[in-house]
Amino acid sequence: MIPDGRTPVVVVTGFLGSGKTTLVNHLVKSQAESLVIVNEYGDVPVDHVLVEGVKEEAIALPNGCLCCHVRGDLEEALMGAALRRRRGEIAGFDRVIVETSGLADPGPVAQTLYNDHALSRDYKLGPIVTVVDAADREARQASADIARSQIAAADVVVLSKVDRTADFSEVRSEIAALNPTVECIAAQYGAVEPHRILETKTGTDHVFQPAQHGGAIRSFSMRFERPVRKALLQHFIATLVELRGKDLLRVKGFVPVEDGLVAVQGVRHVFDRLRNVSPSSKRGEPALVFITNGVEQGDVQALWTAMKGLS
Amino acid sequence: MFLNMKLLAQHTLNGFGGMGEGTAMQMARDGRRILWLAHESAPKNFTAVDVSDPRQPKVVVQTDLPHAQMRSNSLEVAGDLMAVAYQVTKFGLKPAGFELFDISVPEKPKSISFFDASGPHSRGCHQLWFVDGKTVHLACADPELKPRNPKDDQIYRIVDVANPSKPVAVGRWHLPGTMDGDDAPPPERLPAKFDAGFRAHNTNVYPERPHRCYLAYIDGGIMVLDISDRSRPKMISRWTNSPPYNGFNHTALPFFGRGLLVVSDESVKDNAADHPKLVWLLDARDERHLVSISTLPMPPVDSFKNRGGRFGAHNLHENPPVPGAWRSEDVVLGTFFNGGVRAYDVSDPFSPREIAYFVPPAPENAKSGAAQLNDVFVDDRGIVFTVDRGGGGLYCLEMKV
Repeated sequence: MIPDGRTPVVVVTGFLGSGKTTLVNHLVKSQAESLVIVNEYGDVPVDHVLVEGVKEEAIALPNGCLCCHVRGDLEEALMGAALRRRRGEIAGFDRVIVETSGLADPGPVAQTLYNDHALSRDYKLGPIVTVVDAADREARQASADIARSQIAAADVVVLSKVDRTADFSEVRSEIAALNPTVECIAAQYGAVEPHRILETKTGTDHVFQPAQHGGAIRSFSMRFERPVRKALLQHFIATLVELRGKDLLRVKGFVPVEDGLVAVQGVRHVFDRLRNVSPSSKRGEPALVFITNGVEQGDVQALWTAMKGLS
Repeated sequence: MFLNMKLLAQHTLNGFGGMGEGTAMQMARDGRRILWLAHESAPKNFTAVDVSDPRQPKVVVQTDLPHAQMRSNSLEVAGDLMAVAYQVTKFGLKPAGFELFDISVPEKPKSISFFDASGPHSRGCHQLWFVDGKTVHLACADPELKPRNPKDDQIYRIVDVANPSKPVAVGRWHLPGTMDGDDAPPPERLPAKFDAGFRAHNTNVYPERPHRCYLAYIDGGIMVLDISDRSRPKMISRWTNSPPYNGFNHTALPFFGRGLLVVSDESVKDNAADHPKLVWLLDARDERHLVSISTLPMPPVDSFKNRGGRFGAHNLHENPPVPGAWRSEDVVLGTFFNGGVRAYDVSDPFSPREIAYFVPPAPENAKSGAAQLNDVFVDDRGIVFTVDRGGGGLYCLEMKV
């Protein structure tokens, strides 16, 4: 098994006022060895943690994706931290926590990590954590596309301000409809056991019924009953990305291959390199989960079947 | 400083925390894991530490050397037997050689025998390898030989200890040209400031290939020896990086399943004055033709050379074939003095990657002003044990990759 020494980057996203900073505050209290990257210096405590201030700058790429500006502040902050750690100028950190701005699509942050080869030698995408205000459905409706993107991309959803609403089953249903595999944790004042967030596996193996939502969001899973050729899987992903990369809000999971099991992690048009992982990394049967913007399960399955048949 | 390593505990070993390069684990009969550590210099000989709980290491015994003009530096454990090297500071002093101990009761190590290698041209034994309970492979002077240059006194020797009470020398090898009477001319020496001698250092032999010794020979490079006839070892191949590098090849660690040899240098000058001291990966698929294919990426020398003391490669975790030891052919761990202990993914040997490290703060009263991590051993729980040369003693670490 090839060890993975890259430092995970935990992305905390959610609307302005949803409770992101409260959650980050809570996390760093017990997780001292964290590098926190925030949009602006705010209420994040600086004791025992390293704080970098950056301004994210997102630009539209010709293919329609949003991506952090090449060599933008986030990349510079991450690269600088890795260099300073390597030179022994800072003590070290076990993880990076990036708090995005309220209206940010978390995809660009993930893409930053996968796009930049130099960065991806030091960092890997950790859990994407989306904080959802249980009591503020109106805000999500007002910016529905962003809200859906944030929830669709999440590995963990933290439901905040649960004390302000008697019944949050509706918001849970809303989340489950967009992202059927996501773990949803109700929390008051950011009080979540850190391991429930930081140790969340970024892949998934839940197999679920395809779902279609108001709007164009689709979620479905693909099962692999037999090991597949890794090279074919790579071609399949590359083809899918070429055809509909901008609409792949999140693709994640585990696939059995000829020499074991690989983790698949992708956001929009960028994917982490396929890495062999220990069988204990997954639970249940291996599967790939797709959360897409209008890409239908039947088309994805047909592409796979065709490529498998022709190879 | 850390990356994917977490300090579980540090033990300064009762104030005698200057440790050498002998770090071996005993799986004691009562279930304890006892880590045996050789000291860098007098007055202490060796210390045993119960590391069953690596968060709470406990010293179980600590012994003194007979006098101050000697050091133990190296030891190895095979079952309930321990071999301890003795090197003296001046030619002719005693005891020079190695001592065998019965450590079945770790609190009470009992001397079984002593292998004497003292002589007018001998500094005794610097390092030994003892993993099968029957044979000690060592870097040690032979009183029967007279080196042409006094620095070349320690050669590769094989000592049969099948009867532990009566060690018997059964074989030896030295670089041709280094001893009086050799037909070969003397080897060309490195510049005086880097001349550390043409002499043996690590002498690794593994059960996977019991007829091969992977020998590091300080300024002479490294050799693969055929020891199928123990009385007449023969050199199969030799690889050297010096000149133009600055000598002191320390360890040759084979990865049999990968066809690789991992070769470490040792930095022996403060402030990286002998930089670069590296860990090299050799393609050893054909043991007759060793090919250097990469080196492990070191932290920037400019950031470390003035931190105090030495900076550069030294000991590796050597995959000892003994119970309790971790074995990997994908990950190399090594100590780099003030560069700490570092782990590398070598699954792609052409492009090794650093995946973890730990650099402790300078130990209290450290003469060099910095940590000087000297040796490393990893147990089969994944716990990394590393020792400081200057006074920091033992560090127990969890590796998180």
